[in-house]
Amino acid sequence: MSKIVQWLKPFTSLKLTIFCLASAMILVFLGTIDQVNIGVYEAENRYFKSFFLFFVPPHTDLRIPWFPGGYIVGSLLLVNLVAAHAARFRLTWKKIGIVLLHSGLILLLVGQLFADIFVDLESQMRLDQGETKNYSESSYFDELAVIDTSATDSDQVISVPSSRLSKGTKIDLPAGGLRVVVNDYYPNAALVSPSQLPHPGYPHLPLGPMAVAVPLEKTYKQDERNLPAADFSVFQNDRLIGTWRLAAGFPRPVSFQAGGKNYEAVLRPKRFYKPFAITLIQFRHDRYAGTDIAKNFSSRIRLLDPSRHEDRESLIFMNNPLRYRGFTFYQAGFDNNDQTTVLQVAQNPSWLVPYISCTLIVIGMLLQFGMHLVSFVKRRVIA
Amino acid sequence: MNVKARKPKNRWRCGLARISQLHRSCAILFFLPMFLTSCNNDKIEVYRIPKEDLTVAMERGNLAPPTPEHSARWVKPDGWTEQPVSEMRLGSFKADGPEGTAADISVVSFPGEAGGLVSNINRWRGQLELPPLEEKQLSETIQQKEIQGAPAFFVDLQSAENSSKPSRILGAVFQRPSRTWFVKMTGPSALLESQRQKFFDFVDSFRFNDSGQSGEPPSPSRQKSTNDE
Repeated sequence: MSKIVQWLKPFTSLKLTIFCLASAMILVFLGTIDQVNIGVYEAENRYFKSFFLFFVPPHTDLRIPWFPGGYIVGSLLLVNLVAAHAARFRLTWKKIGIVLLHSGLILLLVGQLFADIFVDLESQMRLDQGETKNYSESSYFDELAVIDTSATDSDQVISVPSSRLSKGTKIDLPAGGLRVVVNDYYPNAALVSPSQLPHPGYPHLPLGPMAVAVPLEKTYKQDERNLPAADFSVFQNDRLIGTWRLAAGFPRPVSFQAGGKNYEAVLRPKRFYKPFAITLIQFRHDRYAGTDIAKNFSSRIRLLDPSRHEDRESLIFMNNPLRYRGFTFYQAGFDNNDQTTVLQVAQNPSWLVPYISCTLIVIGMLLQFGMHLVSFVKRRVIA
Repeated sequence: MNVKARKPKNRWRCGLARISQLHRSCAILFFLPMFLTSCNNDKIEVYRIPKEDLTVAMERGNLAPPTPEHSARWVKPDGWTEQPVSEMRLGSFKADGPEGTAADISVVSFPGEAGGLVSNINRWRGQLELPPLEEKQLSETIQQKEIQGAPAFFVDLQSAENSSKPSRILGAVFQRPSRTWFVKMTGPSALLESQRQKFFDFVDSFRFNDSGQSGEPPSPSRQKSTNDE
């Protein structure tokens, strides 16, 4: 026991608390400033969901860590809090406020860590009026999907995340004995006509007689998306099956046969399939009479889940999401002259944790300051 | 006595001892979240899904389904047979003529101006082994019309009489606010003459969904957020 206390001792330091809080403030400041350049999502990843902030000297692949990232600061703060309580604090009624406040903080930190690690990514479901989908798509990530379409009732999807694709990479697929070799890869590309190339030697991937993909700088803007393009070959037992070029901006599959099976390959936004389907019956964009000012956005959908005998309509509108089987569908956007709805799909089993933590913190503060106030008033009365 | 002996007298040494202890503990501390987050890496996934029923969408009568990212509808004239769409084609048709002849009709679309009208018409001329023309000369061969508030251009190109591959192209180019659409019919001259009216009916049937207000392509990356309104 004494050994554990000895190990924990350095973490009980108040200096460490100050260091962590100061680092957290600096991180929040830097992240907020950089958000202008790289967008909310990338800022979140670089500053808060990282172990270090890295400095990349220009024209090099070096990554030099220069400041602790959110994971390290958060973990240190968590251990600091727990260790301080274990080593110093005694559970007395007088300290109940501080204990509650700190347990709220601990719960908040642990909850966030678990949400980061185990929770699925947020995604979007884009539905045209009358369209049915049983999957949502990532707004940030793409996949090279190799689909075995040989079976009559189902397809087998092998999803290679786009982060695994880079020039020269060889990827052995876990099914079908296939190997994908990436001959060239652009993390972001634009589709242009061949006549738009500045000169024939300009780097490009020909997609067809009328379009080529040219590399673009990666975008971090809030309203834009990176659309990768790839040139890849598929091998089976070292025998070349074929070479194709695909672009996520033009997600049409290519078909091929290997080992007596039919396959399709497509570069597309990463899909998250659900055990149920949603049909958009109607999207409404109501405006105040005589103006263009939006009054209400709503999507009337039909939820179909044969495994649970569920077939019902639901209305999704602002602050009234549909919650079903652990997924939450929010009204997030629209497109296509109000003919298409965009639903944000979130899956977060720990969504209640921040509410519980904040309640604990508020109660803890009220108790702590309330007790101080009472004893102060009492002293004044006596005096 | 023991307590006294343990207490380091030198503050500096005390600091060092604390740091080395900190190192040991830090190693464990860093290992834990790194191990946990490694569960979340970019793995290749394999899963099964029920077959997607695409046939329902394709069988809606004569009206071709609009693809969400391109948003145009058209009506296929009678007598044309639908062909499978390929990598670039959003619409593909075949018109059969006498003695096994056939004309090929394609619909393609590109963002922006797709290289401009002149270079595209000259590209079509190149396919018929005709020399490219300057903009001024070309404008004499192009007919202009307005469809749904945006310009549409028509050309009728024919290969030279002594050409090794005699052929003809009827083409239409729609310049929409965010995309350019190309409708092209290629085949023997006589067959195209007999199909001319159907081609123009087909071109007239095009209905675009692009909103003229924003000028933005209706693509997933440019959808509007309900927070912006």
